[in-house]
Amino acid sequence: MRWLTAGLLSWMMAFAVQAQGNLEIDTPAISALKASMKQRHAQLRPLYVSGAIGLAADGSVALRDASAVPLAQRGSVNALVAAENADRSALYREVARANQHPEWEADVRSTFAQRWIDRAPAGWWVQRGGTWVKK
Amino acid sequence: MAARAAARCCCLALLALAAILPVQGIERIQLSIGDIRAPGLSVQGVELQFAAGSKGPELRIAHLALGERAWRGLHLSCPEADAAFPEIRCRGGEIRVGAKRLPLNIDFRFDPLTSAFDAVLRLSSGSTVDIHHDGGNLVEAALTRFEIGELSGDLAGFAAQVSPALAAELAQHAAKGTVDARLAWQQAGDADPHEKLQLQARLSGGSFSSPDGLQAAEGLALSLDLTARALAAGWDWQGRLAWEGGEAYLHPLYLQSGPVLQAEGRLNDDELVLRMATLELEGVDQFALTARIAREPPSLQDLTLSLAGGDLAILGPHWITPALAPALADRLRFAGHAGAGAEIRNGQLFSLDLVFDGAGLSLAGVDEGGEVRGRGLAFGPLSGHLPWSATAPTRASLQLEGGHWEALSLGAFDVDALLDGGQVAFGQIRIPLLDGALVLDGLALEHGAEGWRGQGGVVVEPLSMALLTQALGWPSMSGILSASMPGMRVSTGEISLDGALVVSVFDGYLQATGLRVSEPFGVASNLRADIEARHLDLAQLTDTFSFGSISGYVDADVKGLELAGWRPVAFDLRLASSPGSYRRRISQRAVQNIGALGGGGAIAALQRGVLSVFDTFGYRELGFHCVLANGICEMSGIAGRERPDGGFPIVRGGGIPALDVIGYNRRVDWQELVDRIQRVIENNVAPELH
Repeated sequence: MRWLTAGLLSWMMAFAVQAQGNLEIDTPAISALKASMKQRHAQLRPLYVSGAIGLAADGSVALRDASAVPLAQRGSVNALVAAENADRSALYREVARANQHPEWEADVRSTFAQRWIDRAPAGWWVQRGGTWVKK
Repeated sequence: MAARAAARCCCLALLALAAILPVQGIERIQLSIGDIRAPGLSVQGVELQFAAGSKGPELRIAHLALGERAWRGLHLSCPEADAAFPEIRCRGGEIRVGAKRLPLNIDFRFDPLTSAFDAVLRLSSGSTVDIHHDGGNLVEAALTRFEIGELSGDLAGFAAQVSPALAAELAQHAAKGTVDARLAWQQAGDADPHEKLQLQARLSGGSFSSPDGLQAAEGLALSLDLTARALAAGWDWQGRLAWEGGEAYLHPLYLQSGPVLQAEGRLNDDELVLRMATLELEGVDQFALTARIAREPPSLQDLTLSLAGGDLAILGPHWITPALAPALADRLRFAGHAGAGAEIRNGQLFSLDLVFDGAGLSLAGVDEGGEVRGRGLAFGPLSGHLPWSATAPTRASLQLEGGHWEALSLGAFDVDALLDGGQVAFGQIRIPLLDGALVLDGLALEHGAEGWRGQGGVVVEPLSMALLTQALGWPSMSGILSASMPGMRVSTGEISLDGALVVSVFDGYLQATGLRVSEPFGVASNLRADIEARHLDLAQLTDTFSFGSISGYVDADVKGLELAGWRPVAFDLRLASSPGSYRRRISQRAVQNIGALGGGGAIAALQRGVLSVFDTFGYRELGFHCVLANGICEMSGIAGRERPDGGFPIVRGGGIPALDVIGYNRRVDWQELVDRIQRVIENNVAPELH
């Protein structure tokens, strides 16, 4: 019984530590990533509004309806989305690193994903339960 | 084989003809035609009836099979017909399948004696199908202005019956376009024992789009020339397909018209074989491929591909970057030439060969805002061979004539590597750098779900600081830089180096340990390290940075140094006079500079008069502590010498004349401090004293 209690306690403590992870943590790398993402956002915003791209459940941006973009621009939109996702992946890694727990990356990613989706303005497309819905 | 034999032997057998043919005209005709068989086509139980005085001829087909689809009870009736020896003519004929009428009209002329046959099918869209059968071995058909959209419109039901899968695909992809085609079908006969097909087709104004828009084309113009001959093993065919107009996005590639495919091969019930195909493609001298595609279900089984004379400046942005690194589209540049060979066996990649000839690859730098800036990283010209096989380890050998990393030029070096599945084991890579070299030892990488990871060792063979500082445009320093970091670990987004980088400089040394590089190629590129510096000669140091003159030695410890974009953004710096006995003098100018850096009120007011009288001063010790975080440097001075008035001594005077430099500003904006240092160094101007 004792080992069970100890195991349970350590699990709860681990959970508590995890829950205390600071998502608002700011490091120069995080600031640089946020600045880069902010700058790109001007190009992404009309794509969110048109539904060409949406916020995926895994914390990335997905090209969900490329037909909303002229054919000749779909390649550059895909590049833009890939660059955004590279920054987002780096952001999740960096937040986990800044919390001194690189292994939290997946948790940081899913927490951010939920936050992006919750904060998305009405009219944007977000992925919920595996399907795309318009907020 | 039985089916193929039947296909080759298309027999149109007249089994019975019963006709009463008075001189004035035909009163009654009844024809029963036996089976018609062709590849993918089977017609059984054909009966033609014509009786004078009735509405017109009627044709019944008991069973018609096209591909795998079959219909029963086809019925053609003619509202307008006449029969004048020896022909039967029909205008405005209607075709029903069971009770359902097809949306077309048919005109035809049939000579029952010769079996010659002409028919024109008119669809409601205005497109027509002209069919001519000479009664012998030749059937010709012409399709004029057929709208593909009809197959999802008026003809949707018919298309769904012919091929439900194809009809669903066409409808789902909103396929449109106009097709004009001519087909000649020469059946086997005495002159030629082989059946032959000849097809010329042209698509114009073609477009399609998958629901998500990731597979789409607009304004497509394609032309196809195809000839085929039936042999025992199947249809031998050769053809040419030219993409003459329009554009396509086949995720992630954006393609434009121009490519021309010439191919020959064989088609039978089981598979489609491309014996040899060549593709004309912009940026490629020669592109050849062979393939074997299973028909049920359709799947690529085998493929060999060879590409020669590929111009990387064209292939890079169009094919390589979108497919392999779309996020770097703005920054990756290619040059030179490459060839490639690839083989797929049983649907799996079996081998891949890449040959580089004077190829170049560069990745432009990026600033903190994500804008492309700086020289970045470049390699090339690069030549060599990179083979890969699914079944056996292979050895890659590349020769690089040089490159650069930002302002640093890299000399020529070779890369030899053993490739085994998803693993790469490199031989020693020695990259000449200035008068030394960067050596990667035993680097082994493995590609997994999370990207590349691996380990190895890094050695920097001694290189002179004089050359390094000159290359970087820094103030000139003498000394040597070397490093031995045997424990390098590479993972997604991070490279960590166990070991030490040592710079012998200013008569002392500087040692960096715990080096970690995060996100090396992105905007968040970040370097962390701990630095220990011992016995740096202040005379050389201050002279180098035109900071006045201080004689003596200093030790420094920088814990948790973090550089972002090569600029320090965090550290805990502690600087103190080195222990030992040596001359300790500080010039008036250096005092002024230190005072200015310390902010207002750095020098005790009483001492200002002294400052202007003497050129140099004696000092007992120097000390400085700065914790940089969030852009603010929290300062303090010589450890344990805090003053009751809140000041902190940076220079503690000693000897004659003596002078203390005391700081009072404990929080200094780092950027402002850096700007001040730069102004002092660049302008060599005496700073203002408060």
